[in-house]
Amino acid sequence: MKTKWMETITIFLVTGIITLVGNTVGYKYPWNIALIGYLIILGITLLGIALAEYLPVKLPMVLWISVIALLSTSPISPFAKTILEYTGKMEFMAIVTPILAYAGLSAGKDLPMFKTMSWRIIVIALMVYTGTFVFATIIAQTVLHMQGLI
Amino acid sequence: MIFKNWKIHVGALIIVVISELIGTKKIPLGPGVLLLLPMLYAMVFGGIISWPRLKLIKLEEMNAASKVLSLLTLLLVTKLGILIGPAVPKLAAAGAALSLQELGHFLGTVILSLPLALLLGMKREAVGATFSIDREPNIAIIAEKYGMDSPEGRGVMAIYICGTVFGAVWLGLLAGYLSAMNIFHPYALAMGAGVGSGSMMAAAAGAIKAVFPEHGDQILAYAGASNLLTTVIGIYFCLFISLPITNFLYRVLLPILGRQKGKEVVSK
Repeated sequence: MKTKWMETITIFLVTGIITLVGNTVGYKYPWNIALIGYLIILGITLLGIALAEYLPVKLPMVLWISVIALLSTSPISPFAKTILEYTGKMEFMAIVTPILAYAGLSAGKDLPMFKTMSWRIIVIALMVYTGTFVFATIIAQTVLHMQGLI
Repeated sequence: MIFKNWKIHVGALIIVVISELIGTKKIPLGPGVLLLLPMLYAMVFGGIISWPRLKLIKLEEMNAASKVLSLLTLLLVTKLGILIGPAVPKLAAAGAALSLQELGHFLGTVILSLPLALLLGMKREAVGATFSIDREPNIAIIAEKYGMDSPEGRGVMAIYICGTVFGAVWLGLLAGYLSAMNIFHPYALAMGAGVGSGSMMAAAAGAIKAVFPEHGDQILAYAGASNLLTTVIGIYFCLFISLPITNFLYRVLLPILGRQKGKEVVSK
């Protein structure tokens, strides 16, 4: 258990360097403030992982993390302003770019199987993703419009 | 393990720096714009490095990269949660839209792709392929109901593999293109982006944000909230509603759209 945590934290620290470099190069945020922002995000994430792991109530990890993060900046939180200020210098896309870099780096393991697939499957996959995105957008647009919110 | 797999981390660092330095590029195409973001280059560069024939990194390292990927996705969840916090009153006001659009997420996968799959000659594979966006929780549903060695299991795995290879890239391009066409409000697009996969949602939300930077944080809050709903409700919705509906539509549509190979044999 201990080695697992050590490994998780080491990964987050190494990827933290990559994320902060990207954040500085791509979005020109001051790295020292962004660093504090990253550590806040990391702290909440680790807390969420720990709760999902050790609490007897079994709820998805994503839900735990979301709830803690959400509460930390909700109007009732005394730290909301500080957290928003620091994490605001840690650009969302600067986290996404490394994620997709690793996604690309791991894609090779699926390529041999991917190559055996016919073009039909690829067309269907594109339709599956297009359908889910477009239909949800159309419904959201319609309801928001009916409610007069947009 | 971090030191054993140092190559992928150094690789990721170089990829990120190059991708960010290239920056966002916009290519006009038809009524919209093809939006090329650093994340897309990162995925492509990573894919080239991991191309099996180049033998630059080992399978073991690719598996390690995949593990890092799932951990990093949790940071996104946190970042989005932080942005949702102050937006809670606004999200509550849009509660009806947020809940109803989930129907689009769950049934939107079937509506277009099931008829198409049948037209292309697929049989039971089509059910596994189109009942959901076929990420890990959805695979578990199919595995339990039909087993992975079934046509349904092969269908779900095929789309899963496609998703890891090009899902995020496709959603990023599609979301950027639709945003630039200016037919949908950024909030509606943001909700649509919450498809239930961390990397696909991030790619789509990032593209929408790039087109409407003035709504940046709200876009991320809506996309994050919608993605959370899709993920949490998804397991139950897909099992109890989407899968039965897909099976029903399969039975209704197969005689109409399916290729009737049996008939040709008989007519000979």
